[in-house]
Amino acid sequence: MKRIIVIGGGTGGAVVANGLARHLKKEIRKGEVSVTVFDGAKFHEFQPAYLAVAFHGSNENAIRRPTSSLLSSSVRLVDENCSKIDLANKFVVGERSGKRSDFEYAAIAVGCIPDPSQIPGLSEANLDFHTSNHAKKIFDRISKFQGGKIVTGIAGLPYKCPPSPNESTFLLHEFFTKRGMREKVGLCFITPYLRPYPAEPMSEVIEPLYKERKIETLLGFNVESVDPIRKIVYSMEGESVSYDELFLVPPHITPDVIRRSEFSDSDGWVIANKRDLHVKDYDYAFAIGDNTNLPISKAGVEAHLEGVVVANNIAAEIKGTSERYLFTGRFQCTMETGFRKATFVVGTYDKPVKKIRPSFTNYVQKKIMAKIYWNAELGRCEWLFRMNFGRDYYDTISNGKTAAPAMSPMGQ
Amino acid sequence: MATIIVDSRGTACPGPITDLIRAYRKAANGDLIELLATDVGIKSDAKAWCERTRNELVGITEDAGTYKAVIRIVSKRGMA
Ligand SMILES: Cc1cc2nc3c(=O)[nH]c(=O)nc-3n(C[C@H](O)[C@H](O)[C@H](O)COP(=O)(O)OP(=O)(O)OC[C@H]3O[C@@H](n4cnc5c(N)ncnc54)[C@H](O)[C@@H]3O)c2cc1C
Repeated sequence: MKRIIVIGGGTGGAVVANGLARHLKKEIRKGEVSVTVFDGAKFHEFQPAYLAVAFHGSNENAIRRPTSSLLSSSVRLVDENCSKIDLANKFVVGERSGKRSDFEYAAIAVGCIPDPSQIPGLSEANLDFHTSNHAKKIFDRISKFQGGKIVTGIAGLPYKCPPSPNESTFLLHEFFTKRGMREKVGLCFITPYLRPYPAEPMSEVIEPLYKERKIETLLGFNVESVDPIRKIVYSMEGESVSYDELFLVPPHITPDVIRRSEFSDSDGWVIANKRDLHVKDYDYAFAIGDNTNLPISKAGVEAHLEGVVVANNIAAEIKGTSERYLFTGRFQCTMETGFRKATFVVGTYDKPVKKIRPSFTNYVQKKIMAKIYWNAELGRCEWLFRMNFGRDYYDTISNGKTAAPAMSPMGQ
Repeated sequence: MATIIVDSRGTACPGPITDLIRAYRKAANGDLIELLATDVGIKSDAKAWCERTRNELVGITEDAGTYKAVIRIVSKRGMA
């Protein structure tokens, strides 16, 4: 019996578990393989929609579904987190039950979370739309806002979905413009980068929009602390900016179970191979999604495509077939620029971010992605992903040779 | 006073500057950050970053496609 444990049932964890269930259908039915997901969260949330909850007032219940409903019926869900992951001795420990579960293969996909505690005063002063229960509060605050200064931007690195701070600023501009009170609201975007968007080609798209919409930018601003009483944000170099409302994205960290482990780097991120995603020197353990130390942005598309790679490779090893997949580093984050337009930040390990102008078509594509998310998690849209991502879907390695995948729309 | 080595080789823009900003948060005044990168953009980015944050660019060298930017941290307020 080969026991596969997936730790975390979010975007990446569900894709890898459901992919394994598809590839190893027969083996699971015969009792030769089991796939178990550990996740203490009752609900799986579509995180990009936090922005819609915070700035469009969308219904927060519509963006979550029971974690169990997003897993194939042949995947077993243990509804508790893991408090220990011991890769050397191949077991995990359930946080609530204290029970030990052994495995032959493991996939680690516990994501990352905002950690405002790294910046004195930030927790008290800030609401961030990366935290589920803050999103609704932001909408309540902006709905009652009578005028003044709102500061948005990046409080520290890393964080997930690089364009999300820019998007929040555009959506605030749209919100107050539609309410006919934009001139009463000052918008100020702060960032430790030297451009409004970290990568130059996208910055060239954003900068003119910021100018046209009178969005002030403070570049190279490294947030040191916040005074929640006087409502001032201080930089490490002694500059300051005052605010009436503060909606910064805090730096993110991995859950405790990773930071305490011997397989994370000095900042607490899982040390993973950027192509086949194995962890450190464990060839039976893999890391996918936001919890890795891979040198690319943290976003759901990566988590998904990494899940496709890992599910294939574990299944291939169990079945004794030769074709292995490699992750291309493909990322794709949407940035709504307001008024039904959006752009995408797209690239791979080898292809730098390119300039994509905001358009209504991109906005529609974003809406479609949101609609199909749940089915995509269940593995029902791989043909579409394959078509959309083309040669970036994954590389293949067969008999030592690397190649792009064949472009058949038939799924895996 | 420490020397912090930041290895961003193989990452494209904005990888090296992201790694520099992360290292800067942990550094103290007097520390040296040695940033290694293969992305040529680091030459102009490191210079502009030092000017903006008022830290000192000690130098940028190139060796077989790897750039090394050495930066002395001097501008942090309230930190010795
Ligand atoms: C505002 C916002 C906008 C975004 N926009 C985009 C976008 O446009 N495009 C894009 O690609 N991505 C976007 N993202 C990012 C995307 O949602 C994440 O990158 C993605 O969800 C990461 O998947 P993951 O599987 O790594 O982590 P998650 O989906 O966060 O899942 C982690 C899971 O692990 C579980 N867990 C935690 N600790 C433990 C433990 N100890 N044991 C077991 N389970 C545990 C959690 O309960 C959770 O279910 C956005 C995110 C936000 C917040």
